[in-house]
Amino acid sequence: MGLLPFRGEESQTQRARDKKGNTTHMSKRLSISRKHFLLLGLTAILLLVMACAPDAKQSTFGTSGPVAEKQLLLFNVLLWVMVAVFILVEGVLLYAIIKFRRRPGQTELPPQTHGHTALEITWTVIPTILILGLGIWSTITLFELDQPPAGADALEVTAVGHQWWWEFEYPDANGNGKRITTANELRIPVDKAIRINLRSDDVIHSFWVPKLAGKVDVVPTRENYMWFQADETGIFYGQCAEFCGVAHAQMRFLVQVLPQEDYLAWAESFGEAPVLSAQAQAGQTVFNGTGGCVVCHTANGSDSPAVVAGRVQGFMTSDTGIAPGPNLTDLATRERFGAGLVELNRQNLRQWLRDPEVIKPGNYMSERAAIYQTADGRASLSESDISSLLEYLLSLK
Amino acid sequence: MATLTDVIDRPSSQSGLWSWITTVDHKRIGVLYGVTAFIFLLLGGLEAGVIRLQLAVPDNTLVDPDTFNQMFTMHGTTMIFLVIMPLSASFFNFVIPLAIGARDVAFPRLNAFSYWVFLFGGLLLNASFLTNQAPDAGWFSYANLTEKPFSANQGLDYWALGLQVLGVSSLAAAFNFVVTIVNMRAPGMSLMRMPLFVWMTLVTSILLVLAFPVITVGLIELTFDRNFGTNFFVPEGGGDPILWQHLFWVFGHPEVYILILPAMGIVSEVLPTFSRKPLFGYPVVVFSGVVIGIMGWAVWSHHMFTVGLGPVAVSVFMITTMLIAVPTGVKIFNWIGTLWGGQIDLKTAMLFALGFVALFIVGGLSGVSHAVAPSDNQQQDTYYIVAHIHYVLFGGALFGIFAGVYYWFPKLTGKLLHEGIGKLHFWLYFIGMNITFFPMHYLGLNGMPRRIYTYASEFGWDGLNMLASLGYLVLLAGTLLFIVNLMISLRKEPDAGHDPWDAPGLEWSIASPPPTYNFATIPQVEGLDQYWIEKRRAEAEGHPITEPEAPVDPSTIHMPSPSYWPLVTAIGVLILGGGMLVDTGWDYIRFPIPFIGGLICFIGIVAWANEPPAKEHAGDDHHPEAGHGAEPHAMVAAPVAVAERPAGAAAAHSVRLICSNCGNQLSTNFRFCPYCGGAVENPAEPHQEG
Repeated sequence: MGLLPFRGEESQTQRARDKKGNTTHMSKRLSISRKHFLLLGLTAILLLVMACAPDAKQSTFGTSGPVAEKQLLLFNVLLWVMVAVFILVEGVLLYAIIKFRRRPGQTELPPQTHGHTALEITWTVIPTILILGLGIWSTITLFELDQPPAGADALEVTAVGHQWWWEFEYPDANGNGKRITTANELRIPVDKAIRINLRSDDVIHSFWVPKLAGKVDVVPTRENYMWFQADETGIFYGQCAEFCGVAHAQMRFLVQVLPQEDYLAWAESFGEAPVLSAQAQAGQTVFNGTGGCVVCHTANGSDSPAVVAGRVQGFMTSDTGIAPGPNLTDLATRERFGAGLVELNRQNLRQWLRDPEVIKPGNYMSERAAIYQTADGRASLSESDISSLLEYLLSLK
Repeated sequence: MATLTDVIDRPSSQSGLWSWITTVDHKRIGVLYGVTAFIFLLLGGLEAGVIRLQLAVPDNTLVDPDTFNQMFTMHGTTMIFLVIMPLSASFFNFVIPLAIGARDVAFPRLNAFSYWVFLFGGLLLNASFLTNQAPDAGWFSYANLTEKPFSANQGLDYWALGLQVLGVSSLAAAFNFVVTIVNMRAPGMSLMRMPLFVWMTLVTSILLVLAFPVITVGLIELTFDRNFGTNFFVPEGGGDPILWQHLFWVFGHPEVYILILPAMGIVSEVLPTFSRKPLFGYPVVVFSGVVIGIMGWAVWSHHMFTVGLGPVAVSVFMITTMLIAVPTGVKIFNWIGTLWGGQIDLKTAMLFALGFVALFIVGGLSGVSHAVAPSDNQQQDTYYIVAHIHYVLFGGALFGIFAGVYYWFPKLTGKLLHEGIGKLHFWLYFIGMNITFFPMHYLGLNGMPRRIYTYASEFGWDGLNMLASLGYLVLLAGTLLFIVNLMISLRKEPDAGHDPWDAPGLEWSIASPPPTYNFATIPQVEGLDQYWIEKRRAEAEGHPITEPEAPVDPSTIHMPSPSYWPLVTAIGVLILGGGMLVDTGWDYIRFPIPFIGGLICFIGIVAWANEPPAKEHAGDDHHPEAGHGAEPHAMVAAPVAVAERPAGAAAAHSVRLICSNCGNQLSTNFRFCPYCGGAVENPAEPHQEG
C-alpha cells in the first residue's frame, strides 16, 4: 500500500494563478487614487504573498467530493462578493480621505450636513437584500449537506475521539458483517458515501478532513454524525480542530481513499494472523508480558467492546496504569503512527518505544504505562527487548 | 459600626500616593484604569510574543505544549478582560461625566471600588503564573476539558475565580454608568442630544449588566464541579458540556459588542471633529448601535455551528448573524458620510479612527463569511477566525481606543501627544497589524487549526507563519514608540490649551486638565454638539471663545471626599474569591479563607454606608449625614445655582431635594424620584421666587 499521489495539486496551481491575476488587477486599480497611500498597496503585496504560498495538503481548497465542494462553492462566491464590497467601500473611504483633505487657508466651515434620509435607507435596504439572498442559499445548502443523499447506501464508520488519537470502528466493513477496529488511518472506498458517527469517551474533539468535508465536533454527550464522499483515491489529511488538551496539535489522522476492490480486499484480510519470525515472537512475549503493552493496546484483531469499556473506565477512575490505546492490528500497513504524526519506519518506531515523550509530549503512554515510570522517562526495557518488540510490531501486517 | 467610622476620619490627601489610593474622582480613576490596563496590554503582548516566536518556524521546540497552552489562554483572557474592557472603562470614567456636564459619576465610591476590584481580579488571574499553574484551557475554557480529571491543577480555579472577581468590578461599573447617564446629564441634554460616545457607553453598560450574570452562573457551576463534586458539565454524571458552551456564548457574544461598541463611540466622536462637520445621520448611528446591542443576544450559537445543533437551529442563528451585518454596515456608511464633504485633518487621533474604519470593514466582511454555516464548518477553529477576531479587536477596538487616547490626552494632561511620533506609531500599527493578521486568513483556509503549539513543515504553513511573526515585531516597535511618546509628551510644558481640536463636546469647554469639580457652572445644553453651537454663536457675535470656563474657588463647590472603604471592600472581595484556592481538606471547613474575605467585605460595606463627611466641612454649616441611608456624596452634580448660592443660605453644599410624593431626600441631580418615580421639586426655587 504505497503512498498515493496527493490530490488537486494541479488545480491549486491554477487557483494560485487566478489569485495572482486578481491581485495585479487590484493593486493597479488602487494605485490610481494616490501613490503614497500604503493601505491597498500593502494588501496587494499580502495577497501576492498568499497567492505564491504553496497550497497546503490540509487546505480547504482543492476539495474532493460533494460536501467539501458545495461548502467551497459557497465560500468562493462569498469571497468575490467580499472582494467587491471591500474594493467598493475601502475605495470610497480612501477617495473621501484624499478628496476632502483639509487644505491650508480653509477657514470657512464645510457644509454642515446632518444626514440624507434617502441615502441612508438605500444603504440599509441593499445590504439587507444581499444578506437575505445569501441566507436563503446558505440555508438550502445547509439542509442539503445534513444527510447523505437518499438511497446512497452509505458505509458507516464510528470515529471515536480520544486524547490524542482517533479510533475508527467499522460495524460492517465488508458488507458482510465484519467488524473492524483500527486507529488513526481511516480507509474508505472511493465514490461511496461515508457516514461517520462521532463519539468521544473523554473530552470534546472535532473531526475534520478539510478536503472532504467541514468539521463536526465530537461531543461526549451527543450522537453527532457527518458524511462525505471522496471522488478520487489518495491520502487526505485530517486533524482534530477543537482544543482538547496538551497534545491537541498532534491529534492528526489520515484518510486513505482506496479503489473499491482494494478497500474490500483490505477489509477481508484485516486481522489475519501475521507471520512471525523468532525475534518477532520474542517481541510478542514482551508485548503481552514485561512490556505490558497489551493492557492498553490490542494487536490481534478488533477490540471487543468490553475491553474498550474497561480501558475507558480505568482511564477515568485512575491516574496510572491504563488508558485506551490505539488498536495495533496490521500496524505495519499504516503510513504513520502517533496519530498521523510521523512516518512509520524502524528508526521512528524505535525512538517512540524508547521514549514517546520526545515525539509527542504529553501522551498518556509516557504518563501511564508502567515501563515509562523511570527517572528519565525512558523505557525500562532492555535494548534487545525493544528490538524484539520493534520486530514484532513491524511484522503486524 | 458607627463608632468605628466616627473614629476613622475620611482621608483628605490631595496629592501623593494616598490621594490616589483613596481617590473617588472619576478623572483619577480613569487614569488608574488606563495605566493598569496598559500594563496588562504589555503583558498580554508579551504572551502573544511567545506564541508568535513558537509558531515562527515549523516543529519548533522553544516552549513545551503546556506553556504554549497557558500563553494563548492568558493572552486571550488578558486582552479581553484586562485590556480592552478596562481601557474602555478608562474612557467611560474620564469622559462620560465631562461629556454630559456632570461633576462626577452617580456613585463615586462605587467607582473607586470597581477599579480596585478590577486590579485585584487581574492580579489574582496572573498570580497563577507564580505558582506555575496558569490556566491552560483557552479563554473560552470549554467543558469538560476543564473538569478535574482533565485539568488537575488549580489553573482553571484561578481562571474561574479571577473572572468572578472581575465580574463584580464590571457589574458595579456598569450600574454606575447606567445611573450616571440616565440621571446626571446637564439640563437640556435629552437622549437624542447625547454625544455618540455617551450613547455607546449606555448600550455597553446595559449589555454588561445583562451579560455578566450569565457567565457568573457558568463560572459558579464550573467551580462547584471542580471543588464540590457537582456534575453540571460532567457527562458521566449526567451533565452536559454543551451547557457550558451555551452559557459561555450567551455571555460571550454580547461581550464582543461590549468590546467594540465603546470604540465605535470613540470613532464617532473623532471623525466629526477632524472633519469639521457633524456626524452624518446621528439618529441612525445611535439606533444601529442600539440594534446591534439587542441583536447581539440572538446570535450566540454561531460560535457553535459545528457542535451538532442540527440544521434548524443552525439556520436560525445563521440568519440572525447575517442580519447583524446590516446595522454594522450602516455605521460604516454613516462614518464615510461624515467624512464626505468635510475638511479632514489627518491628526494622529483621526488616523487611528480612519484605521479603525478601514480595518473593521475587513473584520466585518470575514465575519459575514463565517456567518454562513456551511462555509464556517471549514473555518471554525482555524486561523481564519484568529484573523477575524484580531481585525475586529485589534484593528477595531484597540485602534478605536488609541484614537481616543490621542484625542483626549490633551484634555487629561493639558499636553498634546507628539504628532510626528504618533503618526509613526499609527503607521507601524497599521502595517504591522496587516502583516501579522492578514496572512492568518490564508493559513486558516489552508487548514491550520487554532491553538496548536506546533505544526509540521509538510503542511506548507511555514512562510506565512514567519511573516506573521515578523509583523509582531512591527507591532512591538509601535507599542514601544507609544511609550516613548508618552514619556516625551508628559515631560513638556502644557501646550494644548483647552480646545486643541475645535471639538464639539462639552468636555472641551473647560480647562485642561479639568479642575476637580469639572464645571464651575453646570452647562445648559441646547442641542447636539453643544460646544460647537456655543463657539459658532460667539464667532457670529464677533467675540470668539478663546478661553475655557473661568475657574472658581474649589472650596465653594462640594465634591465627594476621598474614602478608604472602597479599597477595603475590594480587598475583601479579593480574599473572598482568591481564598477559594486554599483547600484545607478538612471535613467541615474545607474553605475557611473566603469567610475572612466575606467579613472584611461586610465591615467595608457597613463602614462605607455610615461614613461621616470629611472633617474640613464639620466646622461650618454642614449637617452630618452619617446615618441616613442615602448616598452621602449626593452633591456631586449640584445644580447650576450652587456655586453662586450665598454662603448663609440653608447649607449650600448639603441642599437636598425632597420628593413631593414619598418624602424621601434625594440628590439634587435627580429629576424624578428613584424611590417612587414621582416628580421632584426643588425646595430652593419657590423661596427665591416668593
